[in-house]
Amino acid sequence: MKFTIDRYQKILIFIIAAYCAFVGFVNPAFFSITTVFDIIRTSSTSLIFAIGLLVVMISGGIDVSFMAIALFGSYTTINIMIAYGIDNLAFAVGLSIIFGAVLGLINASLINWLKLPPFIITLGTQNLFHGIMTTFVSDKSFGAGVLPPCLNQFGRATLFQIQTGSGTIGLSASILPVVFVALATWGLINFTMIGRGIVAVGNDEESARRIGFSPARIRYYVYVWSGILAGLTGIVYVAQINALYPNKLIGGELPIVAAVVIGGAKITGGDGKVFGAILGVLLIYLLNSTLILIGLSSSWNDLFIGSVLVASIATSSYQERIRNRKNLIFTD
Amino acid sequence: MKKSFVAIVCLLGIVSALFSAWGTVSAQDPKNDPADYKIVMIVKQSDSWFDDMAAGIEQLKKDTGLNVSVQVPETGDAASQIAIMENLIAQGVDAICIVPNDPEALIPTIQKARDAGIVVVTHEAPGIADKVDLDVEAFVNEEFGQLFGENLAKAMDGKGSYAGFVGGLTMETHMAWYKAAVEYISENYPEMKPLTDEPYEDKNSVDGAYNKTLEILTAYPEINGFFDCSAHGGGISQALSEKGKAGTVKVVSLALPSMSSTYLKDGSMQHGQAWRPADAGYATCYAAYLIASGQGIETGADLKATGYDNVNVVDNIAYGFAPLEFTADNIDNYNF
Repeated sequence: MKFTIDRYQKILIFIIAAYCAFVGFVNPAFFSITTVFDIIRTSSTSLIFAIGLLVVMISGGIDVSFMAIALFGSYTTINIMIAYGIDNLAFAVGLSIIFGAVLGLINASLINWLKLPPFIITLGTQNLFHGIMTTFVSDKSFGAGVLPPCLNQFGRATLFQIQTGSGTIGLSASILPVVFVALATWGLINFTMIGRGIVAVGNDEESARRIGFSPARIRYYVYVWSGILAGLTGIVYVAQINALYPNKLIGGELPIVAAVVIGGAKITGGDGKVFGAILGVLLIYLLNSTLILIGLSSSWNDLFIGSVLVASIATSSYQERIRNRKNLIFTD
Repeated sequence: MKKSFVAIVCLLGIVSALFSAWGTVSAQDPKNDPADYKIVMIVKQSDSWFDDMAAGIEQLKKDTGLNVSVQVPETGDAASQIAIMENLIAQGVDAICIVPNDPEALIPTIQKARDAGIVVVTHEAPGIADKVDLDVEAFVNEEFGQLFGENLAKAMDGKGSYAGFVGGLTMETHMAWYKAAVEYISENYPEMKPLTDEPYEDKNSVDGAYNKTLEILTAYPEINGFFDCSAHGGGISQALSEKGKAGTVKVVSLALPSMSSTYLKDGSMQHGQAWRPADAGYATCYAAYLIASGQGIETGADLKATGYDNVNVVDNIAYGFAPLEFTADNIDNYNF
């Protein structure tokens, strides 16, 4: 299997390019390496979330508890680090990932056991995980001064720096986990038996069972992977904002779901590409972070973003339908 | 037969319990000793802000001997506050002070408490002041907003362009502060101009403030100052330090000392402002005592806490003048 760009992704790339051209036309300040670096830095957490969610959606499920898992993992881990004076990035990432994996395991177990729609289960566990955290761990906020210094060192670290007219800018080290996660997930879906099973279960659970996949076991893999990525993202997030709150992140699930769907993942499962999800996130971030550049005031934000999103979804699904008709696939 | 007997016994038990509770409530002898007044403060949730408020109320207990205590809801919503209030109404306390999570949702329960003869005093709920015995506010919003303007203008030496943040355009207090700040600046510092007519939204999150700041810096590299009416100016400071503009671009923010001390000390934030939760809790509970004991509160009343020693009562709201300002020099004096 080679890395290919399908039609759907071509349309997204076209929309992104056209929009960039528009913004650059209105405000030439947009065309600078700073913009690229800023978008990479600010979208990095959303990218990892989206890739984790993508795997769940390919398997035909959905997860709305990943923000709660990220918060639980990072908040609990960092509380432990503050309490015992540990200052080690590997420890932070490792422990948060373990928390994420365990919570993902709980999600999968509940879905397999109760046989309820994953949406309902993860909506419930979202509240459950957050509730356990605020009740049994802590519900205090921590400012930059008391956090382990290794976190902010990572949040501010750059891979290399460039001298520009307005000062030095650097490429954020946050891109490393994103690239790693994207490659690992791409490999998982395309080159492993588990990946084939995830796609098979997402297309048709019964067929997958008959060719020898265990849907229950596949779900364990999927939700644990999603939990691991959420745990990792939690640490990246705290490192970037350099403060620890017990109530952030939660509530931001839907834009990620939207990004993954815009990126071409089928809501019914069985189809979805890592590169598509990345494009979906970039499109949403681009819309969110260029309103000031094109001179729109705050009250126009939601209206504008909503319109562009609906228009881009309509364009891409219309293209998809035309292509299906050509191939004699009639979906309506 | 047996079941109905058990049921009757249970019913009798409940009825007698109700009567005994009613008996204690109705025994309203005139009291002289402050220790006879049972006053309970219900805070929003458990965090460092309300820990400081509880410390203030503990101080009030020491100073006056009032039987005053604090109840902390398990979750930060109206439902758990209502449950606590119902419980206190059943106990027949003298006064309930509350910092409502959702003022409108509490109105029926507040009415029930007042019908039972309990004094209800709110804090941070001017919108429902006509439904309670008194609402206590730390300051008039316009005056607090003008402070933002004044502090920003001083930090920027009275010239340059600036931008303001609010949590959201629909948040009343944030918008009131924003408007007052901009008006104050335009009247007193003609060389300062806002970048836009409307404030930017940080959606009450640090990363929201951070992301918008990066974008503003790209779109308006000439900017000289920011002020943030939601307590997330740390995101602005963070973005400025990463772009090497900390100190040259000034930041004034609503802030918790514990969340902003790093930025104030490293120079990426010039000025923080808030109000002291300990003093607000102290004044609110003391006001409840004055009303419950029949002394009442009028303009000029002294609520014994710093900034509340000469309150101005308008439309059932007692305004103090208790803004708290902090800079790198005094930030370590506060621990909330």
